Amino acid sequence: MTDGGDRSGGERLTGRAFRLHPLSIPYRVLEQGLGLAFVLLVFGAPATGMVQNTLGTTPTAVLGAALVVAVVGYGVAYYRRFEYELTADTFDIRSGVFARRIREIPLRRIQNVDISQNVVQRALGIAEVRLETAGGSTSEAHLKFVSVTRANALQREISRLSRDDEETGEPETFETLFEISDRELGLLALVSMDLRIVPALFLGASLFAPSAAAMFDAEMLLYGYQSVVGAIVGPLVTLAGIVAIGLLYGVLNATLYYGFTLRGAADELRYERGLLQKYSGTIPLSKIQSLTVEENVLARALGYASLEIETAGQSGGGDGSGGSSQSAIPLATRERVLELTNTIEPVGDVAFERPPKRARLRYVVRYAAVVAVLTGLLWGVDAVLGLPFTPWLALGALVAVPPAAHLKWRNRGYAVGENHVLTRNGFWVRQTKIVPYYRVQTAASSATVFQRRRRLATVTIDTAGARSLVGNDAKAVDVDEATAAELREAVTANLYSSLRRRRQDERRDRRRPYGDPASGE
Amino acid sequence: MTVSDRNDERVADDERSTAETASTPGDREPGADDDREGKSQQDDHQEPTSQESASVAAAAGIDDDVLDTPRELASIVRLQWIIRSTVGAVVLGAIVAGITLALGVATDVVPAGRSTAVTAGGGAFLLSAIYGVLKAVLLYRSWEYVVRADSLYLRRGVFTHVRTVVPYVRVQHIDTTRSPLERLLGLSTLVVYTAGSRGADVTIPGLTPERASTLQTRLERLAIESEEADAV
Repeated sequence: MTDGGDRSGGERLTGRAFRLHPLSIPYRVLEQGLGLAFVLLVFGAPATGMVQNTLGTTPTAVLGAALVVAVVGYGVAYYRRFEYELTADTFDIRSGVFARRIREIPLRRIQNVDISQNVVQRALGIAEVRLETAGGSTSEAHLKFVSVTRANALQREISRLSRDDEETGEPETFETLFEISDRELGLLALVSMDLRIVPALFLGASLFAPSAAAMFDAEMLLYGYQSVVGAIVGPLVTLAGIVAIGLLYGVLNATLYYGFTLRGAADELRYERGLLQKYSGTIPLSKIQSLTVEENVLARALGYASLEIETAGQSGGGDGSGGSSQSAIPLATRERVLELTNTIEPVGDVAFERPPKRARLRYVVRYAAVVAVLTGLLWGVDAVLGLPFTPWLALGALVAVPPAAHLKWRNRGYAVGENHVLTRNGFWVRQTKIVPYYRVQTAASSATVFQRRRRLATVTIDTAGARSLVGNDAKAVDVDEATAAELREAVTANLYSSLRRRRQDERRDRRRPYGDPASGE
Repeated sequence: MTVSDRNDERVADDERSTAETASTPGDREPGADDDREGKSQQDDHQEPTSQESASVAAAAGIDDDVLDTPRELASIVRLQWIIRSTVGAVVLGAIVAGITLALGVATDVVPAGRSTAVTAGGGAFLLSAIYGVLKAVLLYRSWEYVVRADSLYLRRGVFTHVRTVVPYVRVQHIDTTRSPLERLLGLSTLVVYTAGSRGADVTIPGLTPERASTLQTRLERLAIESEEADAV
């Protein structure tokens, strides 16, 4: 039962067990072998010497050979003992060399099917497949590796089977929703250089450079001319370095999204991306928990935005961001992003309500306090070590406080739509979260001592989206106390009416006879 | 989809109006006055959905006198919290005493000797213990939970006031747990799990075991009923 010549149509995939691709044996053996070889390189030489001393040369060679045989043997055994099978309503995996595990995953519970390929895997024509469900902290099924055609067939077949039984006859028609252009890719590289690094670096430089300068004070006086040049060139070089690092990061990010294509069918979205390492994944529309429109300062200034989709699954496309949020649009004009957002979740027209203006006063006080504390720290440093400038200079940063507070306030807001609640936060990276009412898990309002002083409160809307695990919930920050209470109650009330409406719609359509899209998973 | 900002430029009027509404007692706690007004008040608190069909609570056959009545925790929970914070205070005091002792030996910043260390440690312990007691008392006062028609409502918090609404449809399962200290004091903790990430936030401490199990069965019934009720 080999995997190589794979001309299987849809029907041949179900009802029989498959093994992994035979090439996965050498690949896995080499992968593990390389890890082992690294360990041997580090600890190997002395250890080998010791073993050789005690055992003699021949037994050592035998031992080494045994080790190789064990690794290869395990690889072969893993392959021989690994079987997967797609049935009408489950995906079964029987695996394990010593401890056997038989796992059945109901197809309806599958959140995403992700395929990834690195360069070597692409040369070999094999791919890694992951199936995500809402439970667990890792992928529920992890196929290392199957042929590319099989991977695609599996992806297609699983989404076909997990859809309605009535529709299974007709093939799904996909239309391309978004394809990244070269211009957008270039902009992505430019825009995704992480700007937040820059102020941090500057802060670091301004804190440590002066004391460093003070240390070399004497030499600086001697070589005054050079120091002037240095004073000008130095920062320029530093600045160039910062920009270069940022751009490099952006370019790396852009290669991840090279050739990004998003296609949509009636029930799911499918994306492909990557220059060196290729990813493709599915996002069933019925599993979407929330949408996030993200614009950082640069993108916003250029009129661009990105769109992310959160489902309840775990690891997502393996892009290292953690949480299962797939990028639906890496970067496009704001209008285009909003347009696509609307096709995924019909949000309609919404008007954001900013926090009351007294919230802005709160940020003024907060930032002024930060400046004051920093000045205090500098004063302390000055008193103990001595600084080349008076610490009171730091108070100059107070000039930046009012505009900073205004910007923070300006970018905040919330909106209550007909079927969605939206929140917006952040100046450096502005995130607009769109949560359908029927995805709301809990709603909470909280008010700190400082918020209560100004009769403000924060409303947190929790969903089952994986990103909320890292505290990335939709939050309406610093709204009026009364508004917060209203919003909290309205969101949960709308949850019920929204659920009811959905059930009624379903009843009418008879589209999902036993589906349970309301339960969140 | 279009996105606009309501208070973009001409904010002045808007701002005035929100400020005014805020000065009225807007954040009135649902069910807070229900002891007095009973059911007439309850209608106000019903979510708009109640017009469309009967509430979850009605379907689950929960008595009206249970609904919307704010409940406090058992008063002995203060003792539980005080014991816990006192243990923390002892540890803190010991650490401070140790550090002072070490500093006294190594440097001239503090005078060496056991008495300084004991004073510092004792002071730290006292301060932290008093803080713990005060916080326990205030936290107990702030705690309140309400079994409402469609959702469980919790409010608590000393420095940060938190109010959580848990719709019954979202309840996955409900635990009651009893730590050794709780068993000693005759207390129990109820944990309500949702699929959301803040499952751990929905915890009601300081319940008597009977009350915890009553509440558990009641919430289970409401959770099951909520699925059925909105299927109609």
